[in-house]
Amino acid sequence: MSQLILWKEDLQQLFHRLQAAYRVIGPLAADGVVGLAELENLSSLPIGHRDRQGPGVYRLENVGDADIFSFVVGPDSVKRFLHPPVQHPYTFRKSRKRLHIASPRAAPQEKPLAFFALRPCDVAALKLLDKVFLESPLKDRRYQAVRDGVFLLAVNCLHPAETCFCHAMQTGPEVRDGFDLSLTELDAGFLVEIGSEKGKEILNGVPTAEATARDAAEKAAKLEASRSRMKRSVPLRALPQVLYNHLEHPRWAETAARCLGCGNCTQVCPTCFCTTAHDHVSLACLAQKEAQWCGSRVRLWDSCFSLNFARVHGGNFRTSRKARYRHWMLHKLAYWIDQFGTPGCVGCGRCITWCPVGIDVTEELEAIAASRNVP
Amino acid sequence: MIHDPMIPFEATIRWIKKETRDTATYAMKIADRRIARAYRFQPGQFNMLSIPGIGEAPISISSAPEEEEILHTVRVAGDVTTQLSRLRPGDAVGMRGPFGTSWPLDEVEDRDLLIVAGGLGIAPLRSAIRRILHLARRRKTASCPTGKKFILYGAKTPKDILFRDEFPRYRSAFQVHLTVDKADPEESWKGEVGLIPTLMRHVSFNPLKSIVFLCGPEVMMQVFTKELTARGVPPEKIFVAMERNMNCGVGLCGHCLFGPVFVCKDGPIFRLSRIVDFWGVREI
Ligand SMILES: Cc1cc2nc3c(=O)[nH]c(=O)nc-3n(C[C@H](O)[C@H](O)[C@H](O)COP(=O)(O)OP(=O)(O)OC[C@H]3O[C@@H](n4cnc5c(N)ncnc54)[C@H](O)[C@@H]3O)c2cc1C
Ligand code: SF4
Ligand code: SF4
Repeated sequence: MSQLILWKEDLQQLFHRLQAAYRVIGPLAADGVVGLAELENLSSLPIGHRDRQGPGVYRLENVGDADIFSFVVGPDSVKRFLHPPVQHPYTFRKSRKRLHIASPRAAPQEKPLAFFALRPCDVAALKLLDKVFLESPLKDRRYQAVRDGVFLLAVNCLHPAETCFCHAMQTGPEVRDGFDLSLTELDAGFLVEIGSEKGKEILNGVPTAEATARDAAEKAAKLEASRSRMKRSVPLRALPQVLYNHLEHPRWAETAARCLGCGNCTQVCPTCFCTTAHDHVSLACLAQKEAQWCGSRVRLWDSCFSLNFARVHGGNFRTSRKARYRHWMLHKLAYWIDQFGTPGCVGCGRCITWCPVGIDVTEELEAIAASRNVP
Repeated sequence: MIHDPMIPFEATIRWIKKETRDTATYAMKIADRRIARAYRFQPGQFNMLSIPGIGEAPISISSAPEEEEILHTVRVAGDVTTQLSRLRPGDAVGMRGPFGTSWPLDEVEDRDLLIVAGGLGIAPLRSAIRRILHLARRRKTASCPTGKKFILYGAKTPKDILFRDEFPRYRSAFQVHLTVDKADPEESWKGEVGLIPTLMRHVSFNPLKSIVFLCGPEVMMQVFTKELTARGVPPEKIFVAMERNMNCGVGLCGHCLFGPVFVCKDGPIFRLSRIVDFWGVREI
């Protein structure tokens, strides 16, 4: 595939092309973090900002960096847009003898979403969510309605955070597939790769130049430097078996003693998809005629760290925090492989940064994998 | 499924039969004709029944597919099941389904079949039993299993035995063995007292040429699968029905995970060999 150069000042034009056809969602600094929101114009990007991340640490600073994309990911991710934290799958109206159910249809005139400057880990996360919601025999029709028509503009990561380990999970720092356009920020411009017909089409009329071998070399060198900055490793080839062999490892209890069971890790994880649902009956409905009520089904993000997650009538399958932490980690790094053919972790590091006590999933895995002989 | 599996459809209660002090069978009819016509299930599958405003619960179908009404046999447990027990014929509920795997009736062939139920576990098995009776009656044999057939069923007390009035009919095709954990003094129970494995004394079958359908409390199933494997029944031919918290029923909510399997879509009926690595692991 041919590679192109887009000069930095022409990024604006690409942005406008996108804006004409899509609702553009991209990084926006608010409340001291980089989140995702609708972008009105390019200047609202947190240009020149750096995010300092570590276990339980996040600081966003304007360091006046020359690069536009010198920050990486905050707690927010594409998950929120395709699999919203609160959904209303249907409303109901019920009398004793009749039940009416209505499921709202997505307004068709709404523009599809374009994700601007999505990171390779999040492109990978989106592919995983597709597996969960679209490749299951009974797919999630609401997810599909939003997913269809999404445009992905990816940006390769040259300034990984201390917590990033996409290199170890083989999802980054360079995006390999699943995008429409990808950008690598060079000193003078962006190296553009086209990932789809849609991507090619959006470039129509945007001034670009043919990339040279020197540009390609600059990109390779920058990505190599990025890789070498990521220090965490993951024994990918030992998964999932190394975890299955250590279901009773003493480390689980040690970690559980630190873990608060707060569920932050599951909320920020771009691939954690669990939900719970309940019926919401509003007071307005109850005011109606007796024996007739109405309301809506509410589907919310849930967390396997919550105590009631595995409760059934007369029992609870995971009361100890040890079991709940083990369940989470096993799902991410072992069960997922059996279920969907790939780990459920993309190495974005969010769970490390946003864990209030700084539990590091790679460190936990390493501790367990290291003691091969412990039962 | 023509209908979005996440959205319930309306079903009407036709009749209710009280089975025991805390359990009743509800016959339901899907209101919308188009949905009713497209609705097909296999013995062992379940529906999500909902009482809008209260919630939803997974409930096995206890009737056979060839029967006109869809039956659910439900024990009062918490919110949804209590509210269900307050309804009357003619009342509407929500239904989604059918979901999950079914009893592999086509794997029975000429094997000896052991149907083993503990307590309410008889509900999803009743669907299989009645299907087999139906096939036996039609005697177009090809599809009717020909080996020995047993039903081993254990209940808490004689008063908790479900479908008691149907056992004479079951005996036309099955050897039926009952046991209770505790005999009721006033009811002059003459049968076995003890846990289900005690019934194995009465059963002579060929372990290498048999197939077992098992549904009941998890501890009971664990004890029983041990007994079966000790007798030489291969785990590939033991099928267990599992129970976990269920919220969506279609493998999207994560609540029912048991190790790497989703109990709602990969189960609830599993070949023991598939889940054997996690069978009995605490708090998995
Ligand atoms: C595949 C399957 C088949 C079942 N078949 C039957 C049956 O045929 N007859 C019968 O009486 N019971 C059956 N159960 C158990 C039945 O689902 C629970 O008794 C019921 O969910 C309790 O709901 P509740 O609202 O009354 O209880 P509450 O304690 O108020 O529960 C609240 C909610 O938690 C969840 N929940 C609680 N207990 C369970 C549970 N045991 N399993 C799954 N989710 C649970 C449900 O979403 C429920 O609505 C089955 C369970 C499963 C998983
Ligand atoms: S488990 Fe942690 S590092 Fe992996 S994808 Fe989820 S949040 Fe990112
Ligand atoms: S690992 Fe950390 S973020 Fe996750 S539940 Fe425990 S304390 Fe919260």
